[in-house]
Amino acid sequence: MTDSSPSADRDRQAPSADPPERRTGRITTGFGRYLLKHVGGAAVSLLLVLFSSFFIFRLVAGDPIDQLTRERPVTPEQREAMRAELGLDQPMWNQFIDYLTGTLTGDFGTSFQYRRPIFDLIVERLPATLLLSGTGVVLAVLLGFWIGSRAGWRQGSRFDRTQVTTGLLLYSAPTFWLGMIAILVFARSLELFPVNGMRSPGTPDDFLSQAVDIGHHLVLPVLTYTAVVYAGYLMVMRSSILDERGSDYLTTARAKGLRDDDVRRRHAVPNALLPTITLVFLAIGNIVNGAIVTETVFSWPGLGRLFVQSIFYPDRPMLQALFVLFSSTTIVAVLCAEILYWFLDPRIRRAS
Amino acid sequence: MRSSIPTRRIAAAAAALAVAAGALAGTASGAAAQDDVDRLLIATDQEVDTFNPFKSRYIITYNTNTMTYESLIRPSAESYEPEPGLATEWEESGDGLTWTFQIREGAEWSDGEPLTAHDVAYTYGLLIENEDIRDWNIDVAGNFVSAEATDDTTFVLTLNEPAPSAILSSQTFIVPQHIWEDYPDPAADDANDELPLVGSGPFQVAEYRTDELLRLEANENYWGGAPAFDELVYDYYNEPDAAVAALEAGEVDIVNGLNPAQVEALEAQDHVTVNNAQGRRFVSITFNHGAATADGTEYGDGHPALRDPVVRQAMHTAIDKQELVDRVLDGNGTPATSLIPAIFEQWHWEGGDSLVEFDINEANRMLDEAGYELGEDGVRTMPDSDQRLSFRFYHHADNTDYATIVEFVSEWWEEIGIEVDAEPIEQGSLNDLVYLGEYDIAFSGWGTGPNPSDMLGMHTCAVLPTGTDGSERSHENFYCDEEFDSLHERQKVESDPDARAELVKEQQRILYEDAPVVWVYYQNVLEAYNHDKVDGLTTQPSENGMITGQEGFQYSYWSATPVDGGGEEGGASTGVLIGVGVAAAAVVVAAVVFFVRRRSTADERE
Repeated sequence: MTDSSPSADRDRQAPSADPPERRTGRITTGFGRYLLKHVGGAAVSLLLVLFSSFFIFRLVAGDPIDQLTRERPVTPEQREAMRAELGLDQPMWNQFIDYLTGTLTGDFGTSFQYRRPIFDLIVERLPATLLLSGTGVVLAVLLGFWIGSRAGWRQGSRFDRTQVTTGLLLYSAPTFWLGMIAILVFARSLELFPVNGMRSPGTPDDFLSQAVDIGHHLVLPVLTYTAVVYAGYLMVMRSSILDERGSDYLTTARAKGLRDDDVRRRHAVPNALLPTITLVFLAIGNIVNGAIVTETVFSWPGLGRLFVQSIFYPDRPMLQALFVLFSSTTIVAVLCAEILYWFLDPRIRRAS
Repeated sequence: MRSSIPTRRIAAAAAALAVAAGALAGTASGAAAQDDVDRLLIATDQEVDTFNPFKSRYIITYNTNTMTYESLIRPSAESYEPEPGLATEWEESGDGLTWTFQIREGAEWSDGEPLTAHDVAYTYGLLIENEDIRDWNIDVAGNFVSAEATDDTTFVLTLNEPAPSAILSSQTFIVPQHIWEDYPDPAADDANDELPLVGSGPFQVAEYRTDELLRLEANENYWGGAPAFDELVYDYYNEPDAAVAALEAGEVDIVNGLNPAQVEALEAQDHVTVNNAQGRRFVSITFNHGAATADGTEYGDGHPALRDPVVRQAMHTAIDKQELVDRVLDGNGTPATSLIPAIFEQWHWEGGDSLVEFDINEANRMLDEAGYELGEDGVRTMPDSDQRLSFRFYHHADNTDYATIVEFVSEWWEEIGIEVDAEPIEQGSLNDLVYLGEYDIAFSGWGTGPNPSDMLGMHTCAVLPTGTDGSERSHENFYCDEEFDSLHERQKVESDPDARAELVKEQQRILYEDAPVVWVYYQNVLEAYNHDKVDGLTTQPSENGMITGQEGFQYSYWSATPVDGGGEEGGASTGVLIGVGVAAAAVVVAAVVFFVRRRSTADERE
């Protein structure tokens, strides 16, 4: 307990989580204003995303028709036919109106490369992404918070040093490289797991076989994804615990004769979790964005891979739709975090 | 209370262990639980554009089309010569305008319906009457006048003008009338989306999961005999290195598009055979020799020196193509002469007396003679002005081979007093600049087909742009030459293959000597397969030919046979069992360490 916490004031406020009765009236109006402000902010962001998405991907030079006919001779008539079919013969302004009304009504148009409705493709890919990044994020958050809280609690110990070094080492490793190493070691040399993909072609159709097969394919990508990101949660949790460590209420808890582990788990960690909420919500928002690089290395048929392929194509309507989707999930997730803060952190209520 | 905590934890941990072990064991049995279907697995990374055979443009759908459907005439496996497909015989009328085909008797669709000349007439009818389908296939369909089945086995096609080479080498995939006439719009992308497809070829597309797999099932009714494999599966691998690892681990049977380093790694594997085949692809360096429209309006900002054939020829003379093959491709290629790669033996022109040998001194002499004097900075200038011979050289940013070529070539050109300003540019922008004529030198590369007219046609005056906005892109680089054009018209209607070959070679000679483009090399196809699982892969052409990327018909997959007792299943499940053992041991060790440490720290603290 030698190093004093830099935010002792804040700590003292933390235990007083229950707002006094008389404040209720003010909270409602205050909350209304708070909500309006943040929802408004989110709406403006969404609008900007909606507009910029149309123009950003038009800056990516290149004629989509060139891509469609790459290295194959085509006549001008064929080019015109393709152009008309993709709606590229329309003036820019019409294309923008089509895009805007389409996106707002959930009709994202047709993908250049797959020639299918984008909405269908996204719905098809979503489960794979949720499975991979969902599992990965949950694992990374749990692992990061668990190690982070213990490392921070015993700052400078061997556990702290080795865990922080390991975590940061993995954090700075390129996902791509780590994924390839995982494939070479665990899939090629040891043949423990499949090299990539989500399902094997020869697996029987019954639920159990399919589930086991997908689980088998899931191990390496999830481990890779988790290994790369968990250090982020570890570091935030560690510093958060460090902040709490010198607090008076912990001294009180210890004075009551509680075991060290119990002091940490029951008293320090709950308070230390507060600053990590934004992080957790960002992580939830990121689940949809997918683990783009991981999905690419492991040929995981999710949204991240769809995005990468669309960039290479370039599949403009697909990029627009994914950009809007990714941005809006993040914006909504952050909005949720902000709303939740109102209820979790009394300081915000007091400020408004 | 306190004493109960460890007990509870141990119980929980034991439960967790049991679950983990169960899951891993389940995984092991799952990996072993494979059906006994003979399945040929091919690694791919390309999406499906559409299953509509009149519209698909991708290589993968070209391949599935050639397996699901058939054409009347197809290029042979031995040498790409036309051979009977669904037509057993054909005859061109004296005026070249009427073709009569005898349709194979006994051919059936994969659903058991008989295939007749009426299906053929229906298919050609779509190309003539359906405007969208016609536009998509205008290069051949534009010449069709009528299509008619005179009886169940005779099909008559009439043309606008004679086109023997196009009829013999362009493929029209014959579709079943009894299925297709129910489609509301046969030109739509989603026409023909109902799987399994019905066709007459050896494998039918049966299942497609975007980015996961594309499965084809063997057609037992195939007139040439059912394939030995029950299924053919294209398995998706985004990363070429992952596909290589999968081949090494026995998870995939055929991988193509390898690089020399991957080939080296695979050659060390006992169960893998590498096929280093001649390819259909060339890499070329194109010069901006004067961008102009069909009516002669010049545009763009090309360097004036490149309009002089002597400069282009001198630059050609200062390129050591063999060195580039050795250094860039690790020897997996052939130095190029002209437009048609050596794999198409009958059309390829070998250079004869005009063959350019790498000779820096000769190149210098040519430039000296033409009056390009060497400046003090080591760079030549124009004969009539002091403009330096300094050229922009654009190469594709995503292609490392091109970047290496640029380095070599720049040095050679420096030795002849030519300065190069190399710039990597993203492919789309690079194409834009080239078609706008806003470049000096740029890379190009094409995969060529068995009909030389396609590639030669891109160098005729007829395809020059009419406007200067760079949107008309049927030409390769603004080439236009009267003699070349007249040869082109003649070879297109020449029915005698030898006489046609002479004309085609003459066209290539003109291109070579005029040097609007320098062809650098023909790139080999590097592919590998697991010979413990698959055998009997026919190559095209037979000599030094390829397995993947065949034209007209996938002879390799049709002739492929499974190898008995290809023990990879056993290997995989043993691997999994070992893995389970290792994983379980690791979990136990981790758990023991965890509890020991936990108890000791708890004891110390309390």
